[in-house]
Amino acid sequence: MPLTPFTIPQIALSDQNLVLSPPSDVNLREIRRVLAFLLDRPRDLTPGAISVLTSALVDIADALEDCVPAVSALLKVNFSSLLSSHNPFLSHSILSLYRHFSEAFNEYDIGKVAYRLQLSASDTGQKLIFRLLALHWLFGSTLLTSQVSSLTSLPGFYPQVFDPLAVKAKKLDAISVSASEGDGAVSLLEDGLVCISYFRWLPGWSTETLVAFRAMHKLLIGVMPHDGSDNGPGRTRLGSLMESTIFADLENVLIHLALEHHPLVPVIATFISRLLQCETHSPIGSRFLQTLDRCLIPNLKPGYGLSFYFPLLEKISENETVAPKGVLELLKRHMVCLTDEHGPDTGHRSWSQGSRVLSICRVMLKKHKGSQIFRPLSLLLAFTCQNFPDLEVRDNARIYLRMLACIPGKKLRQTLSIGEQKSGLAPAPLPASLIDVPPHPSPDLKKSTGIASYIHLERLKPPLVKQSWFLPVQGSVPALSNGSGPAEGGIMDIVTSVAPSSPDESNKTDSSKVAYQKEASRVMDPNTALLLRVLRTHFGCIPDYRVMPGIKIRIPCLLRFESDPFIRTWGFESCDEQTLPALYAIKITFSTLSKYGKIPSCRVPFLLGDLLKSDLAIVAVGQGNDESIEHSNFAKVFLELQPEDPMPGLIDIFINANTATEQVVSGFLRPVTIGIEDMFLKAILPPNVSDMWVSRYYSDLFDTLWEACGSSVNIGRETFPLNGGKGAVSINGKQSVKFLEVPEDVLINAVERHLAGFVVRVAGASLVKVVQQNRVIENIVWDEKEEEEDDLDVGPSGDDFSAENALVAYSREESELDVEYTQAEMESNSNDRSLAIVDKKKSVGNICVLIFLPPRYHLLFLMEIGYGSTMVRMRTDHWPCLAYVDEYLEALF
Amino acid sequence: MAGCSIRAIWILTPHHSVAFSRTFPVVERKWRSACARDGEVATQAPFPSDLEVAAAFTDRKQREGSARGFGIRVASSTPGSDSWVDDPVTRHIITLHINREEAEGYMLWPVIVHTSGNYYILVLPLVEPKKVREYRKLYQRNNCGGSVKEHDNLSSLLLSLPCITGAFMVAHAIGDLIAGETSDPEVVATSSSSAVGGLLDTLTGSIGIGVAPRPKPTSVPILASASSASTLMGSTLVDSSRTMTKPIDKDLLRGFISGSMPYGTPVDLNQNNIAAIRTTGFGSADPPPADLRQPAWKPYLYRGRQRVLLMTQETINAALYDREDIPDSFSISGQINCRAELEGLPDVQLPLIGVKPAKVKMLSVHQSAQYSDHGEDKQAIVFSPPVGSFVLARYQVSHATNPAPVKGFYQLSLVSEDGGQFLFRLTLMEGYKSPYCMDFCTIIMPFPRRRILSVDGTPSVGTVSMTERLIEWKIVTSGRGISGKTIDATFSGTVRFHPRVVNKSLSVSLSKSVLGCTAAEDSDEERESSNNSVNVEDVLMEKLNRDLEAVDLEEPLCWQAFNYAKVSFKITGGTFSGMTIDPKSVSIYPVVKAPVEYSMQVTSGDYILWNTLARSPHAAVPKDLC
Repeated sequence: MPLTPFTIPQIALSDQNLVLSPPSDVNLREIRRVLAFLLDRPRDLTPGAISVLTSALVDIADALEDCVPAVSALLKVNFSSLLSSHNPFLSHSILSLYRHFSEAFNEYDIGKVAYRLQLSASDTGQKLIFRLLALHWLFGSTLLTSQVSSLTSLPGFYPQVFDPLAVKAKKLDAISVSASEGDGAVSLLEDGLVCISYFRWLPGWSTETLVAFRAMHKLLIGVMPHDGSDNGPGRTRLGSLMESTIFADLENVLIHLALEHHPLVPVIATFISRLLQCETHSPIGSRFLQTLDRCLIPNLKPGYGLSFYFPLLEKISENETVAPKGVLELLKRHMVCLTDEHGPDTGHRSWSQGSRVLSICRVMLKKHKGSQIFRPLSLLLAFTCQNFPDLEVRDNARIYLRMLACIPGKKLRQTLSIGEQKSGLAPAPLPASLIDVPPHPSPDLKKSTGIASYIHLERLKPPLVKQSWFLPVQGSVPALSNGSGPAEGGIMDIVTSVAPSSPDESNKTDSSKVAYQKEASRVMDPNTALLLRVLRTHFGCIPDYRVMPGIKIRIPCLLRFESDPFIRTWGFESCDEQTLPALYAIKITFSTLSKYGKIPSCRVPFLLGDLLKSDLAIVAVGQGNDESIEHSNFAKVFLELQPEDPMPGLIDIFINANTATEQVVSGFLRPVTIGIEDMFLKAILPPNVSDMWVSRYYSDLFDTLWEACGSSVNIGRETFPLNGGKGAVSINGKQSVKFLEVPEDVLINAVERHLAGFVVRVAGASLVKVVQQNRVIENIVWDEKEEEEDDLDVGPSGDDFSAENALVAYSREESELDVEYTQAEMESNSNDRSLAIVDKKKSVGNICVLIFLPPRYHLLFLMEIGYGSTMVRMRTDHWPCLAYVDEYLEALF
Repeated sequence: MAGCSIRAIWILTPHHSVAFSRTFPVVERKWRSACARDGEVATQAPFPSDLEVAAAFTDRKQREGSARGFGIRVASSTPGSDSWVDDPVTRHIITLHINREEAEGYMLWPVIVHTSGNYYILVLPLVEPKKVREYRKLYQRNNCGGSVKEHDNLSSLLLSLPCITGAFMVAHAIGDLIAGETSDPEVVATSSSSAVGGLLDTLTGSIGIGVAPRPKPTSVPILASASSASTLMGSTLVDSSRTMTKPIDKDLLRGFISGSMPYGTPVDLNQNNIAAIRTTGFGSADPPPADLRQPAWKPYLYRGRQRVLLMTQETINAALYDREDIPDSFSISGQINCRAELEGLPDVQLPLIGVKPAKVKMLSVHQSAQYSDHGEDKQAIVFSPPVGSFVLARYQVSHATNPAPVKGFYQLSLVSEDGGQFLFRLTLMEGYKSPYCMDFCTIIMPFPRRRILSVDGTPSVGTVSMTERLIEWKIVTSGRGISGKTIDATFSGTVRFHPRVVNKSLSVSLSKSVLGCTAAEDSDEERESSNNSVNVEDVLMEKLNRDLEAVDLEEPLCWQAFNYAKVSFKITGGTFSGMTIDPKSVSIYPVVKAPVEYSMQVTSGDYILWNTLARSPHAAVPKDLC
């Protein structure tokens, strides 16, 4: 129970909110008397009492505003003079009267108050806190602040040399406030800053520096204060601020400071980051960084002195609105310089500076889009991991480089954020578990459906024949190569060796086996023996793809995608029109129905979209631009086939990639066509053939194969072991003929263009002359004598082989097929002959073409070139190819 | 919320333990009811104990880098700290976080901090809870800093809280009390030429009651009046006199608090009045005058021989550069001290001479005084004097009529890192005639960061002495004052220092706390001086400046970064500004015959001769004053 005096009226104690009736006249008179009594005596009261009095007066006057209108006038008379008292408590009490009864005072009075406060702020006899408070009071009231802005009072705010720094700071605030409204803003501020201008020569942590930068900051936010409520005027103000001279002058000041006084660089960085962290002022901070990037970075020199600028470089790197190119190039030059200047006593420094550069790179990786930084950063990191003197830096650079290349943007940022470390040095390499990205989110099927229309994987050289008809054929691969069991791709196993082999035979090397097979073969006649020897040597060089790496065909392709449709489908977080979308961690897998072996999938770490004018990229393709992936907006991809059956085919392409927004692009692209000419390879040269005998070897091989294919009867049962020792093949020849009605020069041109590498012999004086003149085909056998075509037709004869005697048992299928071949062959042979005879007279010469078809087949052309037409005789040990060759030859012209 | 009320006072020792505390239950009750009215639940927590306050203060000190704090937002500032508010006043008005383990913590604001005699005096005034909320908003704001153009800025908050100002008055009064300093200004009676005691002496003298003698203020002749001048010489010079901590006279303190602020409301903070009332009380000998209103600040009337003592004290701050590009600057602040030993409640009129020519700006006058400024040369102060000595008026002079009492230059050329040559060429008292008298004049060359090995050279006048950190040249020694003549003094010589020992850890730790980053330590020493300054001194100074400590915001500048000589002198017999009082024209109403004694003195404040050969701080002069 609180103790209350008896005299307190009951009404005051009741809790209810009573509606008080307006005071009666008697009451009012009493109140006036009391007020008059009090107002008459302010000079007699102590400051504390006056404080109580003024606050009481404020309350009373508020309550009785209507009834006692004269109060404020009385206040003015009785209290004004107390304002000039040097008791700050008293002054403050009086000031609160001014605040409440501002209408009682005219502008002159207010001006006097403002002047009075300004004076007490510069009163060196007064205690510091009261000087500070006086300035606060001056700016606490909008009424007084308006007086401050008048230029007449500004000289009072010029800081004096011996003003304490706190006062200097507050006076500079005053100047900032006035300056932000007037025109001569920065000159005023510069005048004000003179008193601490020596901060330039002090260390960055000096109080003077803090005060100076605080003043600059106050000037900025004075022009554009935070207004939580309305963004509208704030935004327009932002624009006008950035155009203003204040801003330009401040930029110049900062650039100058950064260039001339590098100890201040961290302070400038702090200053800018303070703006950047503020929602309202971050555009200003970004603008400062852009300006620094434009005006400061080009003026910086690489070398040990650059370390002063690292804090600023870090800030620039962190900012997404500044293109990272300038900084990265500067850092690259810096790294080059560090590497050059590295000596015996710079080990620690190289490490430290290199680590800091890498930490900036790390910031870049985290903050910027891969498309912007990929090239300069990869160059920088590549240089560092190759050349930098410090091992740790090299290692870290390598890790960053790999991360840059292998992890798509968003994921990379997450990954780098996991191991966030406070230290300025490069963080320790992340453990592998962190680099292992979490499982991909399920791809967006809807978006992925149409990707074939804008992501393209195209052959660098399109095939000559635009074949499409082989599609159904793919399902019915010729039985020869489709053989089940041992006869895979027409290769028979030798494992069931019937030879009288010792138990340790299997331990012998491949070559010894080949030698053994040689011995074991029976020779019919010298001619055939020679033939067989050549063939054995040749086949002995062909790898058996079943047991060892087979012969591979690499087809160069280009992967690219169009930016426009890509952005439409996948969206793209970019504010910059120049920025292109990018794909990360692209994995391309191939599948085909054709027997091309397992086609290894390709990975492309990073790919930018086509320039929006997309034909640029195509021009680059046309020129056969051989630059590496970083240099243009396509990636070169090699399709690596290991054909088991040399047939044209289609390869289906499945792509899997990430976008910068961490969506997954996946789906089928348009298939790539493989033509028969992709299978064309030069025959493998045995290791023991010396250079000067190469052309002769090929020529002989041609003749041998020609014979072998022409007369399968002779050697049809003979088997030829392949390299690898586990398989052997037999030759089942087939021939065909094609009449080409083209002039000889056209044909020669076409051969030179498309088949030059496979020509092994040119015969006929006139033809030799022409071909030699062209100098396209070289290093072959030039046969200038007129040729007897019939010689070629004569194959080695002899049919002593039987299935029982053969080293390798023939399979049933093989035997059946044999029969078929023989029939077909006979037909073609007859055609062949008749046509050949017709053309014989017109011949200008022959061109012999030897083509190796992986895995182990051959295609031979004997082109009998006449005037106006050419007869192409073809022989092959792989008959299905003939159908395609026919079209191919037509497409040559 | 009416007037100014104090919730609590704590006095903390330098080691942050509470030496004295006082709370005011009446005010606390007001606070609680205000909280209840505003629906502030969190602040209903019990008032913090002394231990909690001490812990909170220590905690803040760690957070803010020093007991007062940074005062300006630095890189290491975080939202929810005083430096985040980014205003130097937060070094004086602080926030304490009371953390409780078992209950929710809360913040105490505004806590006034004042230091006196190595003690921290914390005063917590009563403010409305909504004001605390307003401050909390500033304190935790998420943007880059406040501008006075925003609503609810710190300035308007401070303007609306006179109680903060009141709390500062309380803190200062308590500070003076525990330091044993008196706020009485010095008044010299010319007839007896000895300092006159305070009110208590008057009372005891006239009433005849013995009072235990209070310690007399140790008057430092050079730094008499200007409070801001007490830390002139850089911290190294001042520290030695301040390391002692005097025990608090708690009885005296309790008496003062209960007398000056009953129930937590400060009424009269004049310690002389309170002490007098406490010791003597009011007897039948002091009847209130029937016909006159006796002011509350004058509880006793004077009785005895009547006289008026007046004294003008001027302090000159000067920065002498002796350079063409920077003009020398002088600023003169002065005050009129008064001691009117007059019976009853008379009014005194004091005409001032020479106000206009000197462009005197009257800054403030005593509460009982009024300054009237009529016409060309009719400026006068009318006042009703309180008992004892008091400062009647303070003024500032922008155009002195007299020439500078010490003119000349100082050159120090650092030949190497460990030595230099210096040259003084000075002219003293040129243009001053009798009765101006220079009592003493001393020049000090401080080298606070170097240890002086030796000084060679003989001055043309005076004597030279040397300590480890400074060289002192006494040109005019006290007792042999000069009057009516001009002295030319030259002094050239060489100074040698002990080799420099770099204390790097300190500067680095500072740089970390202020900049929030590790400066490029690895290549610090490798700095190629890119700014192509030809001046060897500049380069040397720059090198020296690398391990400078940041100064407090209370300092005017980083003294240690410069080479300078500081002149100390005292001139009696006149004013520098030319503004004087004619004792004969002082009129008293009701008329009594009382002699008026008037004395004048000029002392040096920051009277600095900057090294002409090196960089020196200066300030821009407003164009219309040039």
